[in-house]
Amino acid sequence: MFILRLWNYFCGYAIIIVKGIRIERFINLAVVNGIYLWDIEKIDYTTIKAKINIKDFFKLRSIVRKTDSNIQIIEKCGMPFKIKIMKRRKWFFLGLGALLVFIYILSSYIWMIEIEGLARIDEQAIIDNLSLEGLKVGAKKNKINKREIENRMLIRMPDLTWMGIQIKGTKAFITVVEKKPEPQLIDRDEPCDIIASKDGVIDKILVLNGDGMVKDGDTVKKGQILVSGTIIRDNISERYVHSMAEVHARTWYEDVEEIPYRQIKYKKTGRTFRTYSMEIINRKLERNKKIPFENYNKSSREIYLFNFGSYVFPIKLIITRYEELVSVTKIIDEEEAKAICEKRLNARIKLQIPENAIVLNNRIEYFTNDNSLIGKIYVEVMEDIGVKVKID
Amino acid sequence: MKTKSYKIKEKISDALELPKDITLDIPKVTILGKDSITVENHKGIISYNDNQIRINTTCGILTILGEGLTIKSIIQEEIIIIGKISNIGY
Repeated sequence: MFILRLWNYFCGYAIIIVKGIRIERFINLAVVNGIYLWDIEKIDYTTIKAKINIKDFFKLRSIVRKTDSNIQIIEKCGMPFKIKIMKRRKWFFLGLGALLVFIYILSSYIWMIEIEGLARIDEQAIIDNLSLEGLKVGAKKNKINKREIENRMLIRMPDLTWMGIQIKGTKAFITVVEKKPEPQLIDRDEPCDIIASKDGVIDKILVLNGDGMVKDGDTVKKGQILVSGTIIRDNISERYVHSMAEVHARTWYEDVEEIPYRQIKYKKTGRTFRTYSMEIINRKLERNKKIPFENYNKSSREIYLFNFGSYVFPIKLIITRYEELVSVTKIIDEEEAKAICEKRLNARIKLQIPENAIVLNNRIEYFTNDNSLIGKIYVEVMEDIGVKVKID
Repeated sequence: MKTKSYKIKEKISDALELPKDITLDIPKVTILGKDSITVENHKGIISYNDNQIRINTTCGILTILGEGLTIKSIIQEEIIIIGKISNIGY
């Protein structure tokens, strides 16, 4: 039966309403003449609703005449009618087909590169190097030899220990492992000197091996030899040793900051302005709109319009948001300026001082001129300034 | 109704154990649960209503009573009726 229904669907069928007094006779005659009727429903005493094959419909004419009944088509179903509708909407279906082909073609390219595992290396550097190897946005997927690119990238970028490339949909996922920086150690057997890494005054020098060249209280310059690994004694030929020493010295750090009394600050007014532009395969489509603000904060957001999980297509909507700012001038007094100055200087100087140094003295001096305050910070610290250098 | 030839046919099919619905054109009524009846070897519909269908067969008129009866399919050999069936009789 199901096969018959399927056949009828392919051939096309109609839902008809038959009216007549001798309705049972109509059904019997139809059956005898080999006309297949199905889903017969009685609507009222003289009316039935039934489904009939399109080809059989025309055979009904003689039966209709014999039984004196009235026939009416209320709906046409099945494939032939569907096709008819499709033909009428030819361009729509052609467009749909073209779109599918277009998407299929687009999905065989790479449209997004995601890099994971970066700490020190610049992402752009990796992207640049990858594009030199052929893996870039817009590259064809089947032309990419992942293993070969991985190997060549490791040669190209010596900072990398490992690289893995995975292609999913239109995205390329790149995982990298960076090389850990090795501290430059000098082997214990190698002879070396110890030199000063910066200017300072020696506070305490403890020589474990080698000849000490400076005493406590000496002022040293950057690069000066503090402990020599070349041992020269009378009557004995020169000897070279691996110097070892702890050299604690006082060093200084200083910085300057100028704070004007007239402070200009920018405040958001709450008024915003948006511009929209499209980017299709790295080509930007945008209308140049005049930004109605004099001072503004600009931020933009990129949205991939066709983003289906790992399938991303290169059509981007870029929304740029401008927030209006107004400048507010504020006159501050000396105390406030000093507070700001101190805060900034302390924050900045912290970045210069090495972590293991001990701060001995922290002093800020202020000078004023007509419209600004100048602060100078001096920090005295105690740190180890000895650095081992190989003797050639 | 039973003619001479019918009686002979019946005897032969009894003797040979042939299925009577094939040899004698006797209706075969299959009821599937409460809502589907298949009648094979029918001789046409006599009357058709929402709650009563009368089908002509070689051994009398088969009356089916019920609610919302519809003829799912009708061909020369069989009728399939669906709906809430309450009563069947000759």
